[in-house]
Amino acid sequence: MSTVLTALQYLGYILIFPGFLFCFLAGMLLCGIDRKVVAKMQKRVGPPVLQPFYDFFKLLGKETIVPAAASKVVFLGAPLVGFAALVVIQLFIPVFSFTVFTGVADVIVILYLLLIPAMAAILGGAASGSPYAGVGLSREMVTIISCELPLVLILLAVGKTVGSFLGTGITFSLTDIAAYQAANGSLITKASMIPAAIAMLLVIPGETGNHPFDAAEAETEICEGLLAEYSGAPLAVYKLTHAVKMLTLTSLFVALFLGGIGTGIMLVDGIILFLLCVVLTILTISLVHAVTARMKIEQIFKYYWTVVSGLALISLVLAWYGL
Amino acid sequence: MFKKLIAESAAKSPWLFHINAGSCNGCDIELVSVLTPRYDAERLGFKLTGTPRHADIVVVTGPVTKQSLPRVLRAISQVPEPRCIVTMGSCPQSGNVFKGSYSVAGPLSKYVHVDVDVAGCAPKPEAVIDGLALATKILKEKREQM
Amino acid sequence: MDFPFVKEAISQLFSKSSCAMYPAVPSEAAPHYRGRIVYHPDRCIACGMCERVCAGGAISRTIEKTEEGDKVTMSFNLGSCTFCSHCADFCSRNAIELTGDYHMVATKEEDLIVTGSFIKKPPVKKAAPAPAAAQEKPAEAAPACAVAPREDGKPISDPSKCVYCTLCAKKCPAGAIEVDRANKTWKLDEEKCVGCGTCADACPKKCIIM
Repeated sequence: MSTVLTALQYLGYILIFPGFLFCFLAGMLLCGIDRKVVAKMQKRVGPPVLQPFYDFFKLLGKETIVPAAASKVVFLGAPLVGFAALVVIQLFIPVFSFTVFTGVADVIVILYLLLIPAMAAILGGAASGSPYAGVGLSREMVTIISCELPLVLILLAVGKTVGSFLGTGITFSLTDIAAYQAANGSLITKASMIPAAIAMLLVIPGETGNHPFDAAEAETEICEGLLAEYSGAPLAVYKLTHAVKMLTLTSLFVALFLGGIGTGIMLVDGIILFLLCVVLTILTISLVHAVTARMKIEQIFKYYWTVVSGLALISLVLAWYGL
Repeated sequence: MFKKLIAESAAKSPWLFHINAGSCNGCDIELVSVLTPRYDAERLGFKLTGTPRHADIVVVTGPVTKQSLPRVLRAISQVPEPRCIVTMGSCPQSGNVFKGSYSVAGPLSKYVHVDVDVAGCAPKPEAVIDGLALATKILKEKREQM
Repeated sequence: MDFPFVKEAISQLFSKSSCAMYPAVPSEAAPHYRGRIVYHPDRCIACGMCERVCAGGAISRTIEKTEEGDKVTMSFNLGSCTFCSHCADFCSRNAIELTGDYHMVATKEEDLIVTGSFIKKPPVKKAAPAPAAAQEKPAEAAPACAVAPREDGKPISDPSKCVYCTLCAKKCPAGAIEVDRANKTWKLDEEKCVGCGTCADACPKKCIIM
């Protein structure tokens, strides 16, 4: 009996909160708010906040064209894999004190799972057989490599700070990080973590592939790159994946740096998390989108491996000396 | 109900694909002005896409030259159903001043079914918005019939 | 890396947008905007000048014979028009007008065609009394002119001034004037002439009188 209840509970976690339904609604809303805010910053009226929902449902109703040169299974399967991976990450990220899955090294799992949506996009693009997707996938790979180094350094810095407090060296457990913050206050209040937090803010638009780091999906030069051949339902899933990625990365930031302010009630925590995600999205994605032009791919690489990695490295060194 | 939701969404989220079939750039500039802050078509859900596969509405400008004709037809055939073809300016409808030129293969309606004609040389952005709004209505009807 | 527009972007976030909310707020075209053509068939004399000057070939004229006279139908295809306003500028009777209406959106090509028709009565045959009438009151004619203006509104040339340059024949939209330079004759085909006055305007010696 209790196993059935536990199974139902986990099913609820996976399907409703913080799983599929929450990801879908919160991600789409974030995307809509982002588009509205960017429009406002550019002195426009902007689309309604529910516009991503309209786009999603419209795309579901469109014809799905599979190119003759494409490999059908990979072409249609890749978007689903990418979306599923993001939902799994969401299950690993603690909502303040509450986590669905706990583990000793869930940071490593998240690091790997974060690669899967990008890899899925690359696989799908490669399977479509379009030369534009070919250009796009090479750029997407460079973008992943650019973002991955600062992200690892940030996670190491956070892990070292928490680990040296717990006396276990470097910790790779988000549960430990959440528990540390619940006991000692948010990590962003520590001076040594501020450079890492800034670096993380700069990593978010790169990981989500937003402006100005969207060289892989540049619609004006390479016809949307990886997504050039997608239409209908698979494209809808890609758009959803992009929206959920914004939610995942901002909630990862909340888990890493802004933890410990939860109330313990799941619904309220969920709302607080979402509001924090909105603020972070506006700050990192919308503002940067509104004021910058698209960067070249080598500029993205140089920027992440010098400026952002440097910031993260400062934090790591400070954490290493126990500051 | 789900079908109705999709039909409603089709009218609220029309994505544009713009084909220049030998246009003088006058219409192209007016179309850009529809999408930029002054008229901001994004507030009505319009978005310019980079590939015909994502598009709902194909906007064709220019008199359809012999060079561009096969490319125009190929691009239009790649747009998934339901789709709507809008000709912008007088050129794709008749050839306008380029009519009878050795290099003009138009009008476009000889080759594909054109849903909406927006006349003008070049049309005012308001007229383009009118035309696109009419196109979204046609899109919704087409989606309901699917 | 610096972001020079951050301040601007944040201040815009709280200020009013600069969009023209077009479908909700109707908008007027600028003064002298050249939009939809309005054709006044009651003023038209079917001279065909508009058809001749149209660059886009948007204007066509069909003539149908009926009992009352020739039924002339002018049609303006807005889908082929450049809105250059040449037709309106050349029209001697101001029968063509380009309005500020820019809503030229149609699902069928026929919706973009502006047509109008009128019945042109055949000229009343009183060619013989006309010169006679002119001769009756020569004193009333302007003294500078050797010939008196015709009563039916058609042109007449003053042979004393005419240099037979043929400009009037070239300008005539109906092809009603025939000028022979060698024999120094100026001949008007009254059947063809519509009395538009283009020849009088074009005459460098101002010897054609309407």
